Amino acid sequence: MVPACVLFLAPFVWLTLTAFKSRQDVFSLTPRWLPTKWVLTNFTEAWQALPFGALYINTFLISFGLLAVQFVTVSLAAYAFARMEFPGRDFLFMVLLGQLMIAPQSTVVPNYLTVSRLGLLDTRTAIALPYVASAFGTFLLRQAFKTVPRELEEAAAVDGCTGLNFLWRMLVPLSRPSYLAFGLVSVTYHWNEFFWPLIVTDTARSRPLTVGLGVFAQTAEGGAEWTLLMAATLIAVGPIILLFLVLQRKFISSFMMSGLKG
Amino acid sequence: MDTSKSRAAWSGKAGRLVAALAALSLALTLGLSLVASAAPVPVRFYYPVQVAGPLARVIDGMVEEFNRTHPDIQVIPVYSGNYDETMQKAQTAAMSGNPPDVAVLLAIDVFTLTDANLIVPLDELAAKEPGYLEDFHEGFLENSYLYGRLWGIPFQRSVPLFYYNRDMFRAAGLDPNRPPETWDELVEYARRLTVRDAAGRVERWGHENITEDTWMIQAFALQAGGTLMSPNGDEAYFTSPQWVEALQFMVDLANKHQVMPRHRYYGDASSDFVAGRAATMYNSSGSLSFVRSSAKFDFGVSPLPGYRTNLVPTGGGNFYIFRGIPAERQRAAWEFIKWMTTPENAARWSIASGYIPVRKSAYETAAYQQYLAQFPQAKAAREQLAWARKEMAFHNNQQVRELLLTAQAEALDEVAPPAQILARLQTQVERILRPFKGR
Repeated sequence: MVPACVLFLAPFVWLTLTAFKSRQDVFSLTPRWLPTKWVLTNFTEAWQALPFGALYINTFLISFGLLAVQFVTVSLAAYAFARMEFPGRDFLFMVLLGQLMIAPQSTVVPNYLTVSRLGLLDTRTAIALPYVASAFGTFLLRQAFKTVPRELEEAAAVDGCTGLNFLWRMLVPLSRPSYLAFGLVSVTYHWNEFFWPLIVTDTARSRPLTVGLGVFAQTAEGGAEWTLLMAATLIAVGPIILLFLVLQRKFISSFMMSGLKG
Repeated sequence: MDTSKSRAAWSGKAGRLVAALAALSLALTLGLSLVASAAPVPVRFYYPVQVAGPLARVIDGMVEEFNRTHPDIQVIPVYSGNYDETMQKAQTAAMSGNPPDVAVLLAIDVFTLTDANLIVPLDELAAKEPGYLEDFHEGFLENSYLYGRLWGIPFQRSVPLFYYNRDMFRAAGLDPNRPPETWDELVEYARRLTVRDAAGRVERWGHENITEDTWMIQAFALQAGGTLMSPNGDEAYFTSPQWVEALQFMVDLANKHQVMPRHRYYGDASSDFVAGRAATMYNSSGSLSFVRSSAKFDFGVSPLPGYRTNLVPTGGGNFYIFRGIPAERQRAAWEFIKWMTTPENAARWSIASGYIPVRKSAYETAAYQQYLAQFPQAKAAREQLAWARKEMAFHNNQQVRELLLTAQAEALDEVAPPAQILARLQTQVERILRPFKGR
């Protein structure tokens, strides 16, 4: 456990220390962990170069706003596929799953066209729009809903709890682990996504952190500004790491509890 | 009765509402058109942030000044990742009918951009400015011409340079004012500068070269007397003896003389150089600022050592104007390009970025002369420029580059002899270029 921990932490420690180094300290014959002189100029310079506040809000709104919408679409679709009988259901489900096989890169141009015709270029909505329906989420929740026994549904029906009511009051709470798993995957994916937001956004009004940080990208011809890059990265990931550390206990316990319930 | 009355009343209300709305929209349209006639022409400018972050602010400052001095034009800079990502963004947007107005993209992207019919030729616009094109360095303009037309205006351009640690030269008994001038001397110097420990492991490389890109091998090929491609980019000559000789020389530096590591990219080499892990390196003139601000020792910069010739390829990005935008925006974009490449601005951009000034007269500006006085190493770039020629560029250039990279890596790793690897490369490249033959 300890070696694994060190292995995971080492890059982060290196990042943090580099952010406090002066440029001359980064390149030395023998790599050194601690800066010879601790400097804060990297942070001031990085902070001035980017509108971190706006980028942060955008990233947050995009990943969590999208998750909220996905929660609705995915629940309804999964309910239909898991609990309802209608002609062509299995065929439609296969078609939906087929979407998982399509590489997202191949849909960039048609998606761009759609977003552009809707007049949504350079908006946060444009970044989220292609992901409003999620085949992965639908699949995950359909499997979860299917494990809920029929008897429970019948018992609920006796008490007048049917249809969407049943979905909301029974299926959703019972499938919490699946929701949590999907939520984690979705939020990490969209928090980290780079290419699609880069294509559809032009300004800090709509850009997420990933695209904003691209300003510090490594150069092809020269050396990278490592100290600046590390400081900017630290500013970008710092708050989310803090949030995780604070909420850690809650996070893990909710995982455990819902695991027991499900 | 009641209902008809209320309906009449309602329709009366609706009528008034509609009338009011109509009046409002009319007023808005009029107002808008009044504003529109006075509003500046917007120009969307895609700019790749290839050099580290703070330079984006230099561009911002220049754009702001342009907008201030040109009230009829409003340039909107859009930072769009590195060169590759900017190219993808521009391609996606242009293919979806929403092109940027002007963009800085690689000079060698001219093939991809013209093959997809995304950019407009600039001959007519340039013809209206007497003496403008003539003031650009010829080596930088060569990649802009295709099918006899001009497609791009040089902006941030570079050449390869030889960097050497003068302190290490002194310690090894070499003259710090006389960098190697030939391939043979390069090998000899690198031998003397390589330091090994008791077990024979290399502690310091005598030389590092950029073997993870295709730029330096082009320099070797040109210097061996080889040809990089046909003028229309539809024919390759990798099986020529000169190419074989060039690749063999690179392989020998690493494997026979063992004075150079096999695999290095620009950033790796310059990191090693400033850390004192390498005594000399080939790198881009674009690394000059980085080396200058990071090296703790006395360093020199010179043109590359030569062989049969001293030729080197140019590199970097050009301005392009996109197709399918209104004529007034094309004119505005051209104004912007012209302004960004005035001798004063070319000098200013060069001093801030470390790129070479693209205009000859930029060297004569007071600002640049002062810069040279403070930083004489920058002079090497100009000397090298005399030998700078067109960079390798083909149709489907990305694919050809990938194949050449693989070939180069395999040769360095001794998978097969260079001649054999290049023969296979030639066959692969011919297949890629066949559809473009004789266009």
